[in-house]
Amino acid sequence: MARGSVSKGGLGTSAMTGIRSSLARRGQFRFACLAGPGALFIVVALLLPLLAIVVFSFWRTESYELYADWNLDNYRVLLGEPAYRIFFLRSLAMAAAVSFVCLVFAWPIAYFIAKHGGRYRLLLVLLLAAPFFTGVILRITALQGLLGPIGLVNMALAELGIGPVGMLMYTPLAAGLGLFYLFVPFMATAIYLSLANFNFELLEVAKINGARPWRAFVEITWPLNAIGTAIGLVLVFIPCLASALTQRFLGGPNATSLGMSLAQQFGETGTWALGSAMGVFLFLASLAGILVVRRTIDLKRAGFTGALGA
Amino acid sequence: MRNAGTCQQFVKAGTSVPDAVLKLQAIVKRFGTVTAVDRIDLTIERGEFFALLGPSGSGKTTMLRIIAGLERPDEGGVFIGDRDVTALPPYARHVGMVFQNFLLFPHKTAAENIVFPLRMQRLGRAERDERLAWAMSLMRLGGLEDRYPNELSGGQQQRVALARGLISRPALLLLDEPLANLDRELRSEMEVEIRRYQKELELPFIYVTHNQEEALTMSDRIAVMHNGAFEQIGAKTEIYTNPATAFVAGFVGHSNRFEGKLVEISGGLARMAWQGDAMLVPVPRDPRPGGAILFAIKFEDLEIARAPDGVDRTGRNRLAGTLRDVIFKGQTANYIVALGDGSEITISSAPRGLDLRMSEPVIVHWPVARGATFHV
Amino acid sequence: MTAKRLGWAVAAMGVLLACIYLFLYAPIFYVIYTSFAADIVWPFPPAFSMAAYGDLFTSSLYGDALRNSLVLGLGSALLSTVLATGGAIGVLRHRSRWRGLALGLFLTPLFVADLLIGISTLAFNARVLDLPGNMYSAIAANAIPGTSFAFLIILAQLVRYDWAMDDAAMVFGAGPVRCFIEITLPTIWPCLLGAFLIGFILAFNNLEISFYNLGAIPTLPSVAWGSLRFGLGPELFALAAMVNFIVFAIFGVMYLLMRYKIVRFGYRETL
Repeated sequence: MARGSVSKGGLGTSAMTGIRSSLARRGQFRFACLAGPGALFIVVALLLPLLAIVVFSFWRTESYELYADWNLDNYRVLLGEPAYRIFFLRSLAMAAAVSFVCLVFAWPIAYFIAKHGGRYRLLLVLLLAAPFFTGVILRITALQGLLGPIGLVNMALAELGIGPVGMLMYTPLAAGLGLFYLFVPFMATAIYLSLANFNFELLEVAKINGARPWRAFVEITWPLNAIGTAIGLVLVFIPCLASALTQRFLGGPNATSLGMSLAQQFGETGTWALGSAMGVFLFLASLAGILVVRRTIDLKRAGFTGALGA
Repeated sequence: MRNAGTCQQFVKAGTSVPDAVLKLQAIVKRFGTVTAVDRIDLTIERGEFFALLGPSGSGKTTMLRIIAGLERPDEGGVFIGDRDVTALPPYARHVGMVFQNFLLFPHKTAAENIVFPLRMQRLGRAERDERLAWAMSLMRLGGLEDRYPNELSGGQQQRVALARGLISRPALLLLDEPLANLDRELRSEMEVEIRRYQKELELPFIYVTHNQEEALTMSDRIAVMHNGAFEQIGAKTEIYTNPATAFVAGFVGHSNRFEGKLVEISGGLARMAWQGDAMLVPVPRDPRPGGAILFAIKFEDLEIARAPDGVDRTGRNRLAGTLRDVIFKGQTANYIVALGDGSEITISSAPRGLDLRMSEPVIVHWPVARGATFHV
Repeated sequence: MTAKRLGWAVAAMGVLLACIYLFLYAPIFYVIYTSFAADIVWPFPPAFSMAAYGDLFTSSLYGDALRNSLVLGLGSALLSTVLATGGAIGVLRHRSRWRGLALGLFLTPLFVADLLIGISTLAFNARVLDLPGNMYSAIAANAIPGTSFAFLIILAQLVRYDWAMDDAAMVFGAGPVRCFIEITLPTIWPCLLGAFLIGFILAFNNLEISFYNLGAIPTLPSVAWGSLRFGLGPELFALAAMVNFIVFAIFGVMYLLMRYKIVRFGYRETL
């Protein structure tokens, strides 16, 4: 009886290894079936086109046609022309400023919804997202209507005898306000989603152990929601860096952005090669911003202990 | 053993050393229409291991949160030492706490978790390191300093949580069902350990649990809580042997319950009418002849014998029944006996020397003074 | 005293939230108001007219644009939700050495601005594939950021999903597909719906990606864009107002359901 069971055990072990490796192979196969299509889609629909503009950025355009003679002229123009440098730095400064202001405003409102929203939490978050049902152009036009020289705010001010306030419209400040308007919901939602998975009991632990509210925030809440905040920053910074529409409608002559100039190369002027180089530039700038964010976050220090951490 | 010098270090310098470490006065806490804590008075003495025992929803966790400062009582006062802390936030109270699911900070290593309270107190690095070393060795956590909580086993997480609660030498340590999430073996191991730490440190522990065995194993004094009020408070042997209310009798230990009618009182005993039979039971508080009573007697207070055995059992109650089942538990066995009316009672007894067979007629007997009786 | 101060902090956050809502909705209310105005360029003082709504239902341009936008929105939302669901389950459930790569790929679109997606797909389609602008490429291009968003939303929900439930179902004889339909789907459908909705809104209202992929095919944003140089058509305001009426109605119903605790939407009350 005992001997029989031992030999059976031996057989069982080798059979188990076989089953396990076939299970692992099946796991690989299922992984490929599930994640493969999406990954392939991103490669074909996004990475190949991005590669294409990298290639085109070393080509030449002449009367709306691309010619494959390799050169660095586009980059020379981009780096040499002061106007482009200004557009680029302006966009960078704008994106950084808007991201920061969004961060400052989004944290308290996301915190309020997550902590004190009670059973209306979901509704309050959806209310942040609902303006997106109205197109960007309409909302920007409406902002123009509210803030513009003949808009509601200035008309009201005129009624009160204060006179129109020029800085509300067609200035970089107005463009910044417009970008804040468009992107603060992204930041607030990202932070909210992080806070929704945050265990607020940890704050009680910190307080019992002697941490005042502000200290508890710095020690516990902030680091444990750093990833959500970083995602929010990415969601604001990237589109702001490339934005064209807002500056065009609200910004006035001193707000011309990299995005506006880029759109122009693919539209009116038809200088695709130069536009491609600007696109490459934009992408590299985005990557740089992300690397900065990425460097400041240590996954373990951010309490990232989920299934993906392994 | 309880010398004043050891205790001094747990009480903040500059305050006198009163015997009462914690005093609660007429605490009331309501949540909407529910009264979670209903006028509770409590005094915790120096170096005492105090257990708050009750079913879930009895208000024991709310009590603990009021002591910690996580809830403000609607009425009443909380005093730690001789300080009125009722209005103080938790971070100004200097108590330690261990939570049911440990609640370690996931982004901090074991060592960082443990020294957190010291950093909040702005203690110097040298003293911090010294105390950390002390806590790590006390909790046998050596070598795990740099592990993150998710890299620790359940028992290790438990020890880190305890170390975090103890390291700042708080006035008292609150423990909210700290063993509920551990497996059985680890739990009984930790029960002994926690009691050892408490005795070594002479630090008052307030231990909330719904598990009577934990409370009985570890504590010196137990309060049984039910519907926001104390049913009984006293030494654990007192609670176990002399339950003050029917609820305590049902909640602490394992009892058989007989519901009957109080017939008369004579010779310091009550006669209870039960199933057309009569039993002599202890006299209930405020006896009302003719009233319904409940007689509760612990499994181990009953004895069992083969019937008929012809032994004279004057001064004892006896019930005839049939053996249904024997559940062997090692040192003892539970004998399940069906009585004439079909109800079942359980007798816990050492199995040695008893050679009973299933479906055999048996006699259950016990001295008349045993058990506890309550009006219902 | 501290509790009181904390109370103030909470109140301040609440007021800030209210201000943000006001700021977010002021232009929306302006759009609704203007849709009823007789003259949209000079809408003050108020003079009301329903003309814009009449024009909206008779104009074929807006009908086409709306239909295209709907097709675009539904198509790319469906594509991105399906791809992201597979990706999220694959990444969470199955250990593979390609997991990190897949995770990175699914998140890459977040780091690429819409404008860049628009021009690069335009350049790729026009110069490499030699394709004119068409609906399929617009759906695919809009599904790129949609897939990322959907992936994030589904992942955030799925990390809390207990896969032991699936194992249990398999022990009782359910195959992987059956298991997904009977066990996983009923648990995670709200987040799939959320992902789908986000994908829909993004694609429906997208200008920068659609514009470069569609050429002459009109969508609502591109019609708005096109009509800008002559001033926006009042019909667009009317259409946006109607969309918002529907949204507000849905929110109203949600509020009532939450108020009277008929549906909890995942919220658990704690005592």
